[in-house]
Amino acid sequence: MKFVVCVKQVPDTTEVEVDPETGTIIREGVPSVLNAFDEFALNVAVQLKETLEEDVEITALSMGPPQAKEALTKCLAIGADSAILLTDRVFAGADTWATAVTLSRAIKKLGGADVIFCGQEASDGNTAQVGPEVAAHLGIPQLTFVSEIEKIEDKNIICKKETDEGFLRTRCPLPVVIACMPTPGFLPKIPNMREIIKGKRKPYEEWTFKDIGGKEEDYGLEGSESVVVRTYSPPPKGEGIIIDDEPEVAVQKLMDYFEKEGIL
Amino acid sequence: MAKTNLWDERDLTEEQKLFKESILDWAERNLPLDRVIKMNREGHPFPPDIIKGLADLGVIMGTVPEERGGLGLNWKDQSLIAEVIGYVDPSIATAAGFMAVSTGWGFTIDRYANDVIREKYVKPAINGDKFIGIATTEPGGGSDVSNFKCTGEKDGDEWVLNGEKTFISGVEEAKKIGGGYWVNVRTGPKEPGAPHKNMTAFFVPIDSDGLTPAEPYDDAGRNAISTGGFIMEDVRVPEEHMLGEKGKGFYYTMEGFDNARILIGASAVGVTRRILEEAADYIKERETFGNPLAKYEGIQFEFVERYIEMEASNLMVKKVAAMQDVRYDEEGWLARTNKAQTYSPKEIAKWISMIKYKVPHLAKDTADDAMHWLGAAGYSSEYIFETAWRGVMSYCVGAEGGANIQKIVIGRETLGPDYVPYK
Repeated sequence: MKFVVCVKQVPDTTEVEVDPETGTIIREGVPSVLNAFDEFALNVAVQLKETLEEDVEITALSMGPPQAKEALTKCLAIGADSAILLTDRVFAGADTWATAVTLSRAIKKLGGADVIFCGQEASDGNTAQVGPEVAAHLGIPQLTFVSEIEKIEDKNIICKKETDEGFLRTRCPLPVVIACMPTPGFLPKIPNMREIIKGKRKPYEEWTFKDIGGKEEDYGLEGSESVVVRTYSPPPKGEGIIIDDEPEVAVQKLMDYFEKEGIL
Repeated sequence: MAKTNLWDERDLTEEQKLFKESILDWAERNLPLDRVIKMNREGHPFPPDIIKGLADLGVIMGTVPEERGGLGLNWKDQSLIAEVIGYVDPSIATAAGFMAVSTGWGFTIDRYANDVIREKYVKPAINGDKFIGIATTEPGGGSDVSNFKCTGEKDGDEWVLNGEKTFISGVEEAKKIGGGYWVNVRTGPKEPGAPHKNMTAFFVPIDSDGLTPAEPYDDAGRNAISTGGFIMEDVRVPEEHMLGEKGKGFYYTMEGFDNARILIGASAVGVTRRILEEAADYIKERETFGNPLAKYEGIQFEFVERYIEMEASNLMVKKVAAMQDVRYDEEGWLARTNKAQTYSPKEIAKWISMIKYKVPHLAKDTADDAMHWLGAAGYSSEYIFETAWRGVMSYCVGAEGGANIQKIVIGRETLGPDYVPYK
């Protein structure tokens, strides 16, 4: 059985600042990390592999600049069996559509996969579009907001999918794209020194657009369907109001406030 | 972790970056600063969950070859790990127990032990199931290694050891989880002008018949790991407990000191970095007379000077670790031909003494400065500074070699052997 986990290297969001003049993210000196949603997805894939009797090979797949190798190195330490970085100037400037085109063609070149895991979204763009778009390009089903995978049986995957009302226990035939949503309090696996060293010895490849085929205009900025007009930080909301009182009194104060402001 | 980040990862390898990340992630869950402070307040023995956690993380004795249970790390990697351990626990208790002692000396024990000792003690210590360390100091002195009084006499297939060892790290931990010590004894007559000859190293299990542990010392700092001693009265160990060759214990001990001192120098860089980060958080926020403390040159310039010294020390540690890698890569040294290839052992020892002298003092002085910058808050154990100050002082005073001994080594190698004050 083959699993592919799509991952992205993102700026450490706890340290990101936006340049007020240009409106772009200041990346200089900001450390890059493995997107937390993707890290969860990889953890889910590794745990699932451990429960299955048949052999499973996990390939971590990423598109990005050469330094994104670091994120894949971490994936190999956590438990991926091999890793591929799609890196080429042709891929630069891709929106979610062009990214999904690139990833799905790489997956096709790999001969497809039984389960394609990705994070629900990336912490830098927060679009949540790449996973579903990969499914669309591959013409296979997708399950989003998946927080837990129960099992794979009879070529079907059974998993728990978060909804606004609660959760759905869903069965879906393979192959499938699973977009994973970390559960509250989830603690990712910390690879130990031995796993890090072993990870470095696992197969790692870098592919360019020539490796996955297609035309240059399918990829990157040229292959993108959307245009970023402007990026900006929303103005501060101003100070909030904290009502710190006994529940009954607090509710009354809140109601008075709503009335005064014409909200009710 | 502090908001201020004074790490520069750009010269680290991909593996080293991940080593650091994993240790920091582990520490965030298991060994945050408030636990470090609590552990040192409560004192030894060292918490078993942290020993096991360090072992599972793979930071103990990483330099032992893979085929013998280690990771086959080079000294650049292991010293980076030691630096991060010092950063995580600025009381230096964790680094003292599991970098300098277990790793520095454990690696050296592994080099000279046979497979029986390796299987029974070294591998379990790598896995956190036993504690192994070094016992050199005697009540009569610690710096004058060649004049120790403990003796070993051959009796049939066994050796009978007698004497007393003191100021040993981790005795209570070894008593609790099992383990033992590298012990140097005299196994032949003291030769005039060459007292270092006829010293032999043995591995002595802590639960040996005739070995009586002393009451642990009530130390000023790094209280999470114990300091104790033991008396050997007719302790019998089999021949297979001899480390290396008979009569070469002094040389092996010097090698062990080198290994332990590198890691303590690296750890002290980590301690200094953490102190500066934690202090920076405070002085950037705390305002007096309308300005943050960090804006006053009296504080800012002291901070900058310590930062410069820390990064200079960091470069020295990296250089020394690289020299140590060359040492172990060159068979000529391993055979102790004393024929210098890239570096002679004495040349390496000089550099190691330089970091052993410099970096713990820097960490101690930086903690001292930080307490002054923060005032009463810095003196309080609510912050890490006083715990760190008391802890790193142990490496200024003498653990792994007294400060003045390091100066004698450096003087010998810079001014020449004619100027060695004591022989």
